[in-house]
Amino acid sequence: MGIDRFTGKPSYGEYMDLNEGWVDRRIFSDDHIYEQELYQIFARSWLFVAHESQIPNPGDFVTTYMGEDGVIVCRQKDNSVKVFLNSCPHRGNRVCFADAGNTRRFVCNYHGWAFDGAGELQGMHEEYCYDPGDIDKSKNGLKQVANVDSYKGLIFATFDEEAPTLEAWLGDFRWYLDMLLDNEEGGTEFIGGCISSEIGANWKFGVENFIGDAYHAGWTHDSGTRAMNDGQPFPPVDMENSYHASVNGHGWEFGLEGVGDIFLLGRPKVMEYYNDIRPKMAERLGKMRSQIFGSVASASIFPNVSFLPGVSTFRQWHPKGPWKFALQTWVIVNKNMPDDIKEEITKGVMQTFGPGGAFEMDDGENWENCTSVNRGVVTRHERLHYRCGIDRRVENHPILPGIVYQGQYNDANQRNFYQHWRDMMEAETVKGVPARYESRFNGRQTLNFSGLDKL
Amino acid sequence: MSKNEAISEAINIPAMPSLELISALEQTLYKESRFLDSESYDKWVEMLADDVHYYMPGIQTRYRRDKTDQVHDLTRMAYYNDGLADLKKRLARLETGTAWSEDPATRYTHLITNIEVELTDNPNEHKVYSNYLAYRNRNERDQDTLLGNREDIWRATSNGFQLVKRLIILKQNILLSKNLNVYL
Repeated sequence: MGIDRFTGKPSYGEYMDLNEGWVDRRIFSDDHIYEQELYQIFARSWLFVAHESQIPNPGDFVTTYMGEDGVIVCRQKDNSVKVFLNSCPHRGNRVCFADAGNTRRFVCNYHGWAFDGAGELQGMHEEYCYDPGDIDKSKNGLKQVANVDSYKGLIFATFDEEAPTLEAWLGDFRWYLDMLLDNEEGGTEFIGGCISSEIGANWKFGVENFIGDAYHAGWTHDSGTRAMNDGQPFPPVDMENSYHASVNGHGWEFGLEGVGDIFLLGRPKVMEYYNDIRPKMAERLGKMRSQIFGSVASASIFPNVSFLPGVSTFRQWHPKGPWKFALQTWVIVNKNMPDDIKEEITKGVMQTFGPGGAFEMDDGENWENCTSVNRGVVTRHERLHYRCGIDRRVENHPILPGIVYQGQYNDANQRNFYQHWRDMMEAETVKGVPARYESRFNGRQTLNFSGLDKL
Repeated sequence: MSKNEAISEAINIPAMPSLELISALEQTLYKESRFLDSESYDKWVEMLADDVHYYMPGIQTRYRRDKTDQVHDLTRMAYYNDGLADLKKRLARLETGTAWSEDPATRYTHLITNIEVELTDNPNEHKVYSNYLAYRNRNERDQDTLLGNREDIWRATSNGFQLVKRLIILKQNILLSKNLNVYL
């Protein structure tokens, strides 16, 4: 792993030079670097843990992972959400084995320690064996995360007391997120169920593909695009009117044509639906965002969530060692959509971005091989090229917030993702992560950000 | 009364399919898997009815007390929830010549077992239960084994049996591979 030989502090300078535009492959294969990712990134970031719609009622829960730490996400009687480790404080056994459900308590199979939906220890099998003073039940609940918060339906949690507020963490990226989460009255929901799969690739390959790699689509997915759309190839990319935007390691690449991603679904009824609501979307989000939504676009939230607005696949890449990740995928729709549109979108997503989807099938294959070649010690020390579009920075774009680059065939968001990765890996505390961009917007208000978008 | 009907009556079970019917459906399933193994998808599509419903639900791990219908609720996420046009779209990917990850070809074998035929209220449609083991091997040592059950409805037509409905249950709740480039 990276340690500066003079200061003894973590240093990743030998693994990347993002001004030059290269990344060393060891960050995708080294066990020690991976271990540091779990501490420095996953134990300190705000991580997506659930959509509000997955746990609407008190006692509803899902289990998920924050890094490799298994957690339970549970709706409380007062409608708040608690997130705690899925591990009994007695001997450590898992206390919940279901992916989702509704319960009043979580009981450990080993010695019958029973916890309520808030993770508090209520009692245990043959409690008389503990003498007075042996155990303080109030101090032996399931370990809570440091903080839970949500942004427009997405629930996040962090293990780090020092993490900034969720608003500050997302920063101006919320301007972009609103296109997915708030493009219509009523917000979003997840379709029931979740499809999980395991891919033999480093988790960062999934994230960086969605954060900015429009470039692969026309080649990797030529077959999928033609299959879904009667032989028509991938729509041409307009390098003038398309962008990369990055904030705090999050990134969104997009065009302004409004239809490219919807087209990929191969569902004319869905296209019609979005065309119908687009004028309202423009009133709600401003004209520019209504043109961005639905265009050829992809996005990731640092560190490990990605989605395709317009296609409606939403996914999380859970790290499982440097050589493997578990992929969870959901379908995200607007709550107020008619049922037949939700059904069309769900089918379309599974035909394109499910494990048997016309697009997804080709991605896993690429990422696995990008990863597995690094078993070779010589290969592992070779640099990867990330220089595409390095001089296309747009300073102070009048509307678009973030670090903006022109032309969606670009490595800009990927470079900024790895910059933030490096900043997190090197920072002693999460407060020490340098700001690479000054936010335009503060507080919770995001819909009518300063009127800049009313053009 | 035929011999079969007599047996059914004697042992008090619903009307039993004839051995000829059972054998013909077994042969149909074997033929289908031979087509899938050899990527003879044109021939496979000919075995599908125009109104086919090819369905493989995504199933999460849940407690026994949880009554969420993860198998029959068609609004939930599914690997496949396809009609004929949908399946043809998926298959069209292989026809493009640009499905890079399919070249070199995947090597497939389907084993089909536990075939059980039931008559239905429709004399031309038969319910067929079976188990599958689908093995895939790719490139150097890339391999997956998928196991589960199927529940089919096959319709007798002048062109042989056609698949009307297939429900596929995979026993991996987390698909332990990168994709599903195989029909089950």
